[in-house]
Amino acid sequence: MRTRMALMYSLLWRLLLILVHVNRALFSWLHVRIQSWKGRLWERAATVLLLPISLVGFPDFQNNLNHGPDANVKPITEKSTGGGRSRCLSDGKSLKKIPVHIGLLVAEEEPSYPDIANVVVWCMAVGISYVSVYDNHGVFQKNNSRLLEEIKRQQQDLLGVDGSMHSVEFLSSGSDQHQHNVVSCRPTVRVLSPDDGKQSIVHVAQQLCRSVENKERSFKDINVSMLDLLLRESKNIPDPELVVKFGPVNSTLGFLPWHIRLTEFISLPSHRNISYEDLLGALQRYGACQQRLGQ
Amino acid sequence: MNEALYVFPGQRGRPSVLFQSRGGLVPCRSREPGLQLTVKSISGCKCNAISSKNGTLMWEPDAFPFVKAKTCTDMSWIKEGELSLLEKISANILKAGPMPKHVAFIMDGNRRFARKKNMERQEGHMQGFNKLAETLRWCKHLNIPEVTVYAFSIENFKRTEDEVDGLMELARQKFERLLEEHENLEKHGVCIRVLGDLNMLPLDLQQLIAKAVFTTRNHNKCFVNVCFAYTSRYEITNAVREMAWGVEQGLIKGSDVSEALLSECLYSNNSPNPDLLIRTSGEVRLSDFLLWQTSHSCLVFQSVLWPEYSFWNLCEAILQYQLNHKSIQKARDLHREHQALQQLEADRACVAELLQHHSNGKPVDSQRRQEALLHYTSCREERVRDFLKALKHKRDSFFSDLCKVLSL
Repeated sequence: MRTRMALMYSLLWRLLLILVHVNRALFSWLHVRIQSWKGRLWERAATVLLLPISLVGFPDFQNNLNHGPDANVKPITEKSTGGGRSRCLSDGKSLKKIPVHIGLLVAEEEPSYPDIANVVVWCMAVGISYVSVYDNHGVFQKNNSRLLEEIKRQQQDLLGVDGSMHSVEFLSSGSDQHQHNVVSCRPTVRVLSPDDGKQSIVHVAQQLCRSVENKERSFKDINVSMLDLLLRESKNIPDPELVVKFGPVNSTLGFLPWHIRLTEFISLPSHRNISYEDLLGALQRYGACQQRLGQ
Repeated sequence: MNEALYVFPGQRGRPSVLFQSRGGLVPCRSREPGLQLTVKSISGCKCNAISSKNGTLMWEPDAFPFVKAKTCTDMSWIKEGELSLLEKISANILKAGPMPKHVAFIMDGNRRFARKKNMERQEGHMQGFNKLAETLRWCKHLNIPEVTVYAFSIENFKRTEDEVDGLMELARQKFERLLEEHENLEKHGVCIRVLGDLNMLPLDLQQLIAKAVFTTRNHNKCFVNVCFAYTSRYEITNAVREMAWGVEQGLIKGSDVSEALLSECLYSNNSPNPDLLIRTSGEVRLSDFLLWQTSHSCLVFQSVLWPEYSFWNLCEAILQYQLNHKSIQKARDLHREHQALQQLEADRACVAELLQHHSNGKPVDSQRRQEALLHYTSCREERVRDFLKALKHKRDSFFSDLCKVLSL
């Protein structure tokens, strides 16, 4: 009797998962259609229709639907003229707040370099000065030259012939690090991998323990600001205010654990064929976040 | 001056009257355990001679106040009761899939809830605690043995003095209540652990916490970890400090420091990493909570306010966990392999250095190198074991010493 019950519940569970996947597919299909219709009535109707079945936790989808990008935003086409950049800048200025450092967390298999390069270029065009790219396999790290090429190409496409004037500082683990005191006026693109996370903290810990071993300091001297300072000495990565996560996996997958204490996380379903409006929508949602900092 | 003001209990829900002539600042308590007090009115002396804040009463030495207070059932840590039929069926369906063994909650939204319902902030926090007790009951029925909650952050000390005092007072009441129902806790096998920089708290609260942790330390059916005076950066720093202490004591070497060892030095070292982290009230950040431990956990952000959390919200979060289970497991395994590889590389480097030193530049054959590596690894592991034993002893003594002071 018990095994029959267990079997029944197991089947019901599988059915539940299938229902959820179907619901998701339906939702994303409708999401695409609504963007193309751009009619408020259709938007409202769809929300009402799907609300009961979308109770199974897709707040991100719902948010995307409700706080969708402005009807005024015209899509950026592949080959846009130099006007693209100034428009991006004005979009950036109209946002309530812009992060200084945005993290692009790719939680999907087989990343698409042109799409990521697009997002990076749009971020910089909107006025974000530090853009980092991360995946938990370290794929971007391994292929960082390819990524750089794609970024350069997309920059040219977006900004036209003037693209080369807008130079970018490209950093990855292998490249030479400038002194942390030098504030670069150029926007920076940084490629991150899991080693920049926990392993960096471990290195600092080893450093401190070795200095205790050599009687250079006592364990009592170790405090939060010391750890923070040492972490930023070797790789001066500012704390990201915003991380945009691409992909269905709901996890940070080892992204910079020390730095993300106050980071806002906004999820987008995928980075493939991502549009400028999607990114802008995410930035607008970030603008609405209010931090109380413990108070 | 800090004598407790006892209310002689009338019938539950009915006001009871008392008076006391001594002046000062006293907390309002009920003599009968399990009963909580809400001050309804104070009369019998000049208004400005009395002030009331956060459940404590203060009055001038010569005042003779009459205090009418209402008693109501106190909220316990343990709620008994079965699930409804529909809840039971849903629970059984979910349990057919992979279930998280450790869930962490950021219980956000108490103050917004209080504003929404036009209650006092303090009442919002109390409702929040009530919801915690209920959530523990649901987790028990869902066979989730371990729960970690973010009760008070070090950043929360920045709040107004009133609110901080109120929260400390609430904590005192709750831990006292916990100690009162220790038999019930034993029956359910609940082990309470408190994680954080406890020396930031008032001493009497530290002692209460120590007693609660000490009395429940051997229970092993379910585990409740309360993060109090906690931030993740302080926790990581403390772990590094403990390792440095170990080096200073000569228990371990600087080169023994690794990711695994740091994890063993965190406040949460007795628990596995959380499988699922839930944050309520719609905020989408981690706020310095378990940053190290949740690097490969499923994160679920829900917009419901914590005091309004329901069984269905919990099911929704668990479903999210189940949908992400395979891909997160894959990522975890990848990370673990990478970690093992790094440890091996580190050991090899140390051995190479040692052999270089001993053989005076003469080449060493691979057999000897392999033996040296195995020997080095087992020595390192032994050092680490002894160090962790010493660390555990240090931490246990911290709690037992605090308890000794309390019982004196």
